Amino acid sequence: MTLADLAAAGALTGGAAGGVCFRTGPFITRLETRFAPMLSLLVRFYGETEAFTTPQIVNFNIALHRPLGPRRWWRAQMRFRIEDTEPFEPYPLSHSYPLFEWGLNWSIATRSNHYLMLHAGVVERAGRALILPAVPGSGKSTLSTALAFRGWRLLSDEFGLIERPSGRVMPLPRAIPLKNRSIDVIRAYLPEAELGPRFDKTRKGTVCHVRPPDDCIRRQQETAEPAWIVFPRYVEGHPTDLIPIPKSLAFVRLAHNSFNYRVLGATGFEQLRALIGRCDCYSLTYSEFDSVLPALAAMADGGRQQGP
Amino acid sequence: MSPLLALFAHPEIAPGLSVEDWNGVLRAGHSERVLGRLGYRLERFGVAEACPRTAREAMEGARYYPRFVQVQVEREVRALRRALSPLDTEVILLKGAAYQLAGLPIAEGRISADLDILVRRERLAAIEERLLAEGWEAKALDAYDQRYYRTWMHEIPPLRHKDRDIEIDVHHSLLPLTSRLRPDPALLWEASVPLETPGLRVLGPYDMLLHTAAHLFQDGEIRGGLKDLLDIQGLLESFSGQAGYFGRLLERARRLDLGRPLYYALRYAHLLLDVPIPAEVRRETRSLGPPAPVAALMDRLVTRVLDPHYPLRREPVVSQWLLYVRSHWLRMPPGLLTSHLGRKVWRRLGGRTTEH
Repeated sequence: MTLADLAAAGALTGGAAGGVCFRTGPFITRLETRFAPMLSLLVRFYGETEAFTTPQIVNFNIALHRPLGPRRWWRAQMRFRIEDTEPFEPYPLSHSYPLFEWGLNWSIATRSNHYLMLHAGVVERAGRALILPAVPGSGKSTLSTALAFRGWRLLSDEFGLIERPSGRVMPLPRAIPLKNRSIDVIRAYLPEAELGPRFDKTRKGTVCHVRPPDDCIRRQQETAEPAWIVFPRYVEGHPTDLIPIPKSLAFVRLAHNSFNYRVLGATGFEQLRALIGRCDCYSLTYSEFDSVLPALAAMADGGRQQGP
Repeated sequence: MSPLLALFAHPEIAPGLSVEDWNGVLRAGHSERVLGRLGYRLERFGVAEACPRTAREAMEGARYYPRFVQVQVEREVRALRRALSPLDTEVILLKGAAYQLAGLPIAEGRISADLDILVRRERLAAIEERLLAEGWEAKALDAYDQRYYRTWMHEIPPLRHKDRDIEIDVHHSLLPLTSRLRPDPALLWEASVPLETPGLRVLGPYDMLLHTAAHLFQDGEIRGGLKDLLDIQGLLESFSGQAGYFGRLLERARRLDLGRPLYYALRYAHLLLDVPIPAEVRRETRSLGPPAPVAALMDRLVTRVLDPHYPLRREPVVSQWLLYVRSHWLRMPPGLLTSHLGRKVWRRLGGRTTEH
């Protein structure tokens, strides 16, 4: 049963004690909220995801509730709770949805050390994964979005989850939060992409989510073989430059773009070394989708070529 | 008993737990930050493979952070030894660092917040001076806080090396100087055990348990103390198999003036974690406990705050508050307590202290 089926059957019991229970990649979340706009956006973005009507062992018990005091109405707020802790200050009520997405990210990042977690966008083609580490200003979310609608399957725009011991990439497809200028860039370049409401003045500026393609949600438990690591850099007006880089350099840069490399200790080192070992590594400078997308497709179609 | 405590008490029930039970275990385990040690424990009992995948992954994932901190603690202990080497003095490692360096199974998956050490009071000034000279720094404290630590507490204000993240608590006694119970540090040193590394010692096995008991039941609010109760369970499992163990433990508790905390430790390890304590030992420790009405009240309060039930029906606010008041009562004589709490209220209201 999907979340959309559940909603159609009128069985979205977000406020009842049971909450609504659904899958996100390898994780199951139970969300408790009485806030209807929250649930309707959830169904809009993740309608195709598996929903559960029988009891499941849950990874994250999340509750979004409005405070009981004056802040229920005056400058209304929303509170995020995971299990019995509230890791963040309340958000304005109008930012409830971004709060849920960030809160879930935070929960995943703090609790999933059974994966090596890369801060990276990941897309897949013919079973092989392209990892785009999120160097600040790289435009990784924007580039992942473009790839997700142009021949690649989106695994994640944020988390590269590397499974142990297989070393494969586990999908974690989510609504993609576009920020500020990239909202109009994607709207213009991908008219077929469905964008949700705009949230102004969040702590990351204006945010607008792209609904993830149905296919990537349906196949969210299908892992992929890591094949390419590409460090993207958006430079206005720059032609597309895809240059192989030494694996030692890729190792150091990727370690810096991992959520838990340090905490994993020796395990993290081994996992990262194995990952780098099986991937071709590139640095990418770009400014135009029209030339960067064919370049990445050519890289993928060109078969394995060894970096120096 | 909550499913989390039931599973710590009897790992063999793991294969029979329901989905609801597992949800209870994971929720409480995440909140109490004990899933890492639960994983190791289930593995030692050979039932880890029988757990559902989500639970196995959560327990596996919870192993890395404790190990990460333990590596930092080991490094801090090495730095400490280097810094103190000119003084030719010994330190006793307490709690997590002791379990870890003595190789006790309870160290596995256990999260240490900081590094606790015990030094001889007459060497305290020299040690503090050395550490400050070698790059450790004390948090900026006002005059009242300084006096609070220096005059009344069993430790100096916590130190942290400027390049590292671990805080060192340097103790010269196990309980505050103002506390109603006063275990003699000389006795602890006498019974302490050297580690392989010169200059490092740990408390003797009886004192280790008594210290944890004193820390949990005499020196704090008990709330959030599940981790200490699990330490007590683990220490009893490691040592209580020796013949005559409990007799010597009771004798030692009387000698150190820690009979009351021992009573609580054995009582709640037995009540909440089903740790086997021989009936005659339980009878004998009864005389170390408080008068019957207080004992009954403590049973109610302690089981409420230490046993995590999810989903929470209602937070045990009143129990927590009563135990908070009790913790202060035990720490200080009434006159001092009144002035200390008055000052805390004043501060919370935004007032300033004029103490110099």
